[in-house]
Amino acid sequence: MRRGMVIDLEKCIGCRSCAVACKQHNAQPAGSWWNRVVTPGSDRHLTASAPENLYFLPIHCQHCNNAPCVKVCPVGATYQTDDGTVLIDFERCIGCRYCMAACPYGVRQFNWESSRHGIERYEYQNGYTYGYPDSFRLDGRLVYSPVRIKGVVEKCHFCAHYQARGLDPACVRACPGKARHVGDLDDPNSRVSRMIRQMNGFTLLPEKGTRPNVYYLPPKRKEV
Amino acid sequence: MGVSKKVSLTVFGLIMATGALMWLIQLWRGLILTDMNNAYSWGLYVSALAFFVGNAAGGLVLSSMIYLFGVTALKPFARIGALCAFANVAAAMLIVLPDLGRPFRVLNLLLHPQIMSPLVWDVIVLNLYAGLSLIYLYLLMLPDLAARNGFLNKIALPVPDPAGFSDKWARRLAPFSLVAAVGIHVVTAWIFATQGARGWWHTAVMAPDFVAAALASGTAVVMFVAVLCYGTTDKFQSAYRIMAIFIATAFFIHIFLMYNDFVIHAWYGTDHAKEILAITLQEYGLAHAFEVLAPLLGVVLLLNRHVRKTMSGIMAGCLLMIAGIFVHRLLLMPAAFNQMPLTLAPLGSQNTHWSVPIASGRYVPPADTFVSHHSYFPTLVEMLIFAGVLSFVCALILVAVHKLPVVKEG
Repeated sequence: MRRGMVIDLEKCIGCRSCAVACKQHNAQPAGSWWNRVVTPGSDRHLTASAPENLYFLPIHCQHCNNAPCVKVCPVGATYQTDDGTVLIDFERCIGCRYCMAACPYGVRQFNWESSRHGIERYEYQNGYTYGYPDSFRLDGRLVYSPVRIKGVVEKCHFCAHYQARGLDPACVRACPGKARHVGDLDDPNSRVSRMIRQMNGFTLLPEKGTRPNVYYLPPKRKEV
Repeated sequence: MGVSKKVSLTVFGLIMATGALMWLIQLWRGLILTDMNNAYSWGLYVSALAFFVGNAAGGLVLSSMIYLFGVTALKPFARIGALCAFANVAAAMLIVLPDLGRPFRVLNLLLHPQIMSPLVWDVIVLNLYAGLSLIYLYLLMLPDLAARNGFLNKIALPVPDPAGFSDKWARRLAPFSLVAAVGIHVVTAWIFATQGARGWWHTAVMAPDFVAAALASGTAVVMFVAVLCYGTTDKFQSAYRIMAIFIATAFFIHIFLMYNDFVIHAWYGTDHAKEILAITLQEYGLAHAFEVLAPLLGVVLLLNRHVRKTMSGIMAGCLLMIAGIFVHRLLLMPAAFNQMPLTLAPLGSQNTHWSVPIASGRYVPPADTFVSHHSYFPTLVEMLIFAGVLSFVCALILVAVHKLPVVKEG
């Protein structure tokens, strides 16, 4: 079983719902985004860089098979599970940020201050709170906690807490365009494997040799 | 201890105390007090690690030159060398602590070491080197320890012929110390050079260049301390000459390796390489000019035998070299972090490459949420913590020179 994701750029409307759902479900601190959606080539989101050239690219942890972040971590806080998911043990991380220097995709987020401090400065109305309320441990290791302590690194954990309950990641369930799919990349007959095969799935930065488990399907036509 | 020494020690102490206080405040508030962000995640602290590791080179390289290659003119400076090596490698390990988000978990390095990480290798070799330089310092001081009274006499190994024993074991340890001295630079360089994500670091030339730059600045540190301790009498002129030539050679090899790398990347001219070179040579052009010209001026000064007869001349030459290499270490970061690794050619676009912005990770209302460029400049907190560690090096050397038989009388 190799857990992978396919994002169909044909179906992505650039609405950033996945980024918002991810942020809310995973209680991400102020300024942190595990998931981001960009308009390639353009400095303004949802704005074509050139006429007739508009598509969107959602980016989060690519859960690489050859993950540089796992290899650089001096204490094994960043590790890979048997299904290829790259997780961070919040209780193990020493906060050296070597993984952030190593990651080619810029998806790792550091807690520069405690999440409580950041949220206070955010001044949400009427004490608005968000995030899956319970901590989640996988084999005893703390891979999700609604309140973050300062000084540790975090990133997309493929919604390990939902996976344990048989649910797909928040971004997959929240996508209004149904652009996201998860499945077993080791199974050639799985839906994701077939999509990659039939629709020319590609990965980001193949030249870096990271072999991501997140694939993208190219858009056939672009929005105008 | 003279008045000037007391004043300097007080100043160093005050700066150290300020640095420690700043670290406490940073522990309390978090690394938000630095100017780093998610896109630019290493700054002054990690540059300083590279700087101090480089400065630690001089000591044991000097010792190995004496005992492996028979450069006996340098013998009076061997103890200073070992002392400078220890002080700087200790500072290198110290400056990493404030860079950690959870410094109290540093024990995890012992409990759960992950042997693939170059950072673990670095922790091992830096500790080995620190131990080795202390052993070396002890061995070299042994003949004089026995002659002293009180505590120093007690820690002296009771051997019949301390001078002979010291010489024999210094010679035996010399090959290991040379390997360790080269090792700390190679492994520290590998922390960066192994990272395929960062084009600026990912080059095979980094480790040899790191060694060359370290030999230049490390020897300059020893020479600086030596001239303060021994002055510029004729007796030491041949030693200063050898050190000046050594510094100059190491520096020119460093310049050669650096520009060799630039030429190769500039000629092929990938967008990545052009962006990296533009950051270093244009955006940080002044800093780059300094990292080359200041040490060059230092080398010109040190190679002049008339300058070498003046204390201020040697000090200026060494300081220019050390400052230049420091700026070189600072320049490790901008071209690594301001060139986004995730730069792609948007589908359907011709001749463009586009950097994907990264969430800054810091909530600052007027600033952008997603950034692809950050003009990093260390905050006062970062600078004071660095100054504190630098003062620690100076104070440690000053106290050791005063209390221990580091300087041979007569």
